Amino acid sequence: MKPIVKQITPLLYEFEWNSAVTDALLQQQLSFKSNLQNDFSSEISELRMGFKSLAVVLSKPVESALLSDWLQSTNPEESSKLSEKIWQIPVCYSQETGRDLESLAKDKNIPQEKLISIHSQSLYRLHFYGFLPGFMYLNGLVKELHTARKSVPDRVVPAGSVAIGAAQTGIYPSSSPGGWHLIGQTPIPLFDPKLAHPVFATAGERIEFIPITKLEFGQLRRHPQQATFR
Amino acid sequence: MIRDIGYLKVLKTGPGTSVQDGGRIGFAQYGVPLSGGLDRRSLSWVNHLLKNKDTDAVLEICQPGLKIQFDAPTLICLAGAKAAIKLNEEAISSYGIVEIRQNDQLDIGEFHQGSVLYLGIKNGFQSEKVMSSRSWFAGITTCDFAKKGDKIPYFTNQEIPASTASKAKWNFDWSLEQIIEVYPGPDWELVEIENQKLIVSGEFTISDLKNRMAIQLAELLPNSIAEMSTAPVFPGTVQLTSGGKLLVLMKDAQVTGGYPRILQVSEEGISILAQKRPQQKIRFRLI
Repeated sequence: MKPIVKQITPLLYEFEWNSAVTDALLQQQLSFKSNLQNDFSSEISELRMGFKSLAVVLSKPVESALLSDWLQSTNPEESSKLSEKIWQIPVCYSQETGRDLESLAKDKNIPQEKLISIHSQSLYRLHFYGFLPGFMYLNGLVKELHTARKSVPDRVVPAGSVAIGAAQTGIYPSSSPGGWHLIGQTPIPLFDPKLAHPVFATAGERIEFIPITKLEFGQLRRHPQQATFR
Repeated sequence: MIRDIGYLKVLKTGPGTSVQDGGRIGFAQYGVPLSGGLDRRSLSWVNHLLKNKDTDAVLEICQPGLKIQFDAPTLICLAGAKAAIKLNEEAISSYGIVEIRQNDQLDIGEFHQGSVLYLGIKNGFQSEKVMSSRSWFAGITTCDFAKKGDKIPYFTNQEIPASTASKAKWNFDWSLEQIIEVYPGPDWELVEIENQKLIVSGEFTISDLKNRMAIQLAELLPNSIAEMSTAPVFPGTVQLTSGGKLLVLMKDAQVTGGYPRILQVSEEGISILAQKRPQQKIRFRLI
């Protein structure tokens, strides 16, 4: 499952994997990432992850064969495991906090309670952040809930909205335009630019959505709490 | 050196005025855009003439109709777009060093050439630094775009600093360049040969959809590439959308995207594109 490496510009390279998005692939990407960080600590300006890619931004140009030679010789740890940490995100699933819940359940021809239980009984793997500051790209939405994105995006999706778009589910950390179907909302903060570590979860960890009542949602809104894990 | 704080006060502004520096490097891992000056060449130039650090924070002005007042002496420097500038109602040049006295007022009027004007200040603007950058971005810094009444801090030592800069002429002709140098992007090979030919031989028009996140080109291309899994994107990445539009990402772009990344514009090319106006034409040349 070795990737290929492409040089894009004198300072930008990309490793690409031609395989399905799985825990095994993510584990290898993270292993590559840490090897790169160790082996090129003085040349690398930044690393960016995608579902099947890893982009490398250098701070100064290097010999063009350097990264392909490195790829030949590096041995990502096959045995290392992804984190066992599971973050628990409280979500109030309701029409008021997720305005597309009714229509999505109808569209899927299942009761709302069933949709909620399917969504909240899965564990989702965090692959990387993108789209908005603090937006988690999660893998693991069951096929039954896959839904094409809206053809006309909503102008405003409220911060904290939990939503489904195509084969993915996610949480909008801040208010934004968006084309996903909203099914609930979390009262906990997902991104704080004032913190040295502005997000709580790290790539490779898992996320679990815990259904809460409207009353609990209101209480947590008034007395914000940080996310907890098990 | 005595460093008192002075303030630039915004008396009037059009949309699109913000503080920008070299950008927020290293925070894409949290989904945070790079930001920073759209036209890095002009940003560096004003800092160079002021003997500042290369990436000190400057004011980026994307629309005419800005009026500002300085409450303490300093030196400023203008570069980028050629515009009608008035200092205390007297017309002055829109490039080079300007000595500022207490309560001086500066008006930025009509843009004659280019799209983005930079106003640098001695030692750089001192607005809040969040995640190692002062560049304004909604949700990261308190301000996103300047509005009437905003006060932006800078250092003053209560007298006009000596300007030792030679009267270096600002040559803005580079921004007239029509040809944008590009590298093949990670997904270039997925583009059908016929389309590749259209892209490197055709002329493209800057559309009205131009902001700090992206510039959309007006022409439509046939596109049959399937949707991709989300992958890293950068300022300068050219995406081919499912609707067949070319989208050139700029400094406030998202850090990842799902459209094929067909080209990557050089940093120099990003500066040229930033200065283009809607309806102007460009061509891509592969390097």
